[in-house]
Amino acid sequence: MTTILITLGFSALLAFVLGALLGFFREKFKVERDPLVDEVRGALPGANCGGCGYPGCDGYAEAVAARRAAPNLCSAGGSKTAEAVAKIVGVEAAAEDLVSVLLCGGVKEKALDKGSYVGLPTCRGAKLSTGSVKACAWGCQGFGDCVEVCKFDALSMGEDGLPHVDYDMCTGCGKCAEECPQRLFAMVPKARKGSVVLCSNRNVLKANVMKACKAGCIKCEACVKICPEACIAMVNGIPVTDYAKCTSCGKCVEKCPTKCYRLLEVDVMGAKKKVPVLA
Amino acid sequence: MTKIFIIALLINNVVLMRFLALCSYVGMTSDVGQSVGMGFAVTFVTVLATAATWPLYNFVLLPLGLGFLQILVFILVIASLVQLVEFYLKKNVPGLYAAMGIYLPLITTNCAILAVTFENISNGYSFIESIVYAVGVSLGYLLAMVLLAGVRIRIKNSPVPKFLKGTPILFAATSLIAIAFMGFSGLVK
Repeated sequence: MTTILITLGFSALLAFVLGALLGFFREKFKVERDPLVDEVRGALPGANCGGCGYPGCDGYAEAVAARRAAPNLCSAGGSKTAEAVAKIVGVEAAAEDLVSVLLCGGVKEKALDKGSYVGLPTCRGAKLSTGSVKACAWGCQGFGDCVEVCKFDALSMGEDGLPHVDYDMCTGCGKCAEECPQRLFAMVPKARKGSVVLCSNRNVLKANVMKACKAGCIKCEACVKICPEACIAMVNGIPVTDYAKCTSCGKCVEKCPTKCYRLLEVDVMGAKKKVPVLA
Repeated sequence: MTKIFIIALLINNVVLMRFLALCSYVGMTSDVGQSVGMGFAVTFVTVLATAATWPLYNFVLLPLGLGFLQILVFILVIASLVQLVEFYLKKNVPGLYAAMGIYLPLITTNCAILAVTFENISNGYSFIESIVYAVGVSLGYLLAMVLLAGVRIRIKNSPVPKFLKGTPILFAATSLIAIAFMGFSGLVK
């Protein structure tokens, strides 16, 4: 009986002493911090993706609270976070929700391999040692470096050999765009409507493009000619749409002989068909 | 004294020979710098925990006849100790806190640390011997961490069979390192 009592007493005493100690030292060693930092930190998503260019959400919160950074840099949180942060620090902010779009349509059956590749199974390694494992020097290497760096599980390698973006999960942090050795990811406002070329091949010769990939842009410029708004222009060998003018009429999409022209809101972000994901 | 140290560091390496602290061992070795930070944080906390629990057991628990409360008391004491140290570092040594602080909450209840404090008691070490043992064990942990972190860089760039990808290949690598460590077993007689 006495043992039980001693045990009880001792445990209670220990818990009390430790609790008091912790409470005491918590106050004694309190670090004075701008309460604004905590407020900003609370409004941030807390993924610590580094998309803003600061070391994690804490670093960014400190920079914003000290007015050293703009409140709209958090791409992961998008416009909602930017608004909330701007409200806290009292600045107006405008941020668009971005998503990442892969500018390559070189699926396995259409984009030919240069040869069989045995080496580092990373896009970067393949690019360094072979220039490109595909016959197309601009195409997706397909090892999924982008999938590895995505902190939001928005990317997955499809069975077609291309990474696929889940546009609901994508926060537009831009990590994949940074990682891709071919620079194939474009950061596009989520609300954008209009046509886009899913090809980055800049070879000017039609025959060379055809040889490498059946989904490539063959520089026929049919899209440039047919566009009623005259909003498509060839830039560095790739047709580029001027989204201020584009009305999403879809004529370029119809006309494109290799079907590499797509409508962003229909075929890219609104795509119904899901490609099976590689495990 | 050297014997205790060598045994703790190499022969009975806490990770590779006794398979303690495997969670942090697998979790924190994706980067060499990170594993070094974690290793030193563990060293720091282990020594502190030993310095706190050894007197507590020998001067308080034993005289009161409460040796059986060891587990409960040690866990409580170590957890609050780590918390205290975290407060202190945050205020007074922000540089060290930035380098080590993020690992501290991770190691509050690390089993290696708890094991060291128990073994100090069950092996009947004196206070000095306990501290040496604690340093040995935690440096052994650091060594194993850095070794695996190095191996992981190689694994990352190798074509690993699909069924071994991730943690399985890490445990395979760990067991190979462990076999290598068996070579140390004749080091001390």
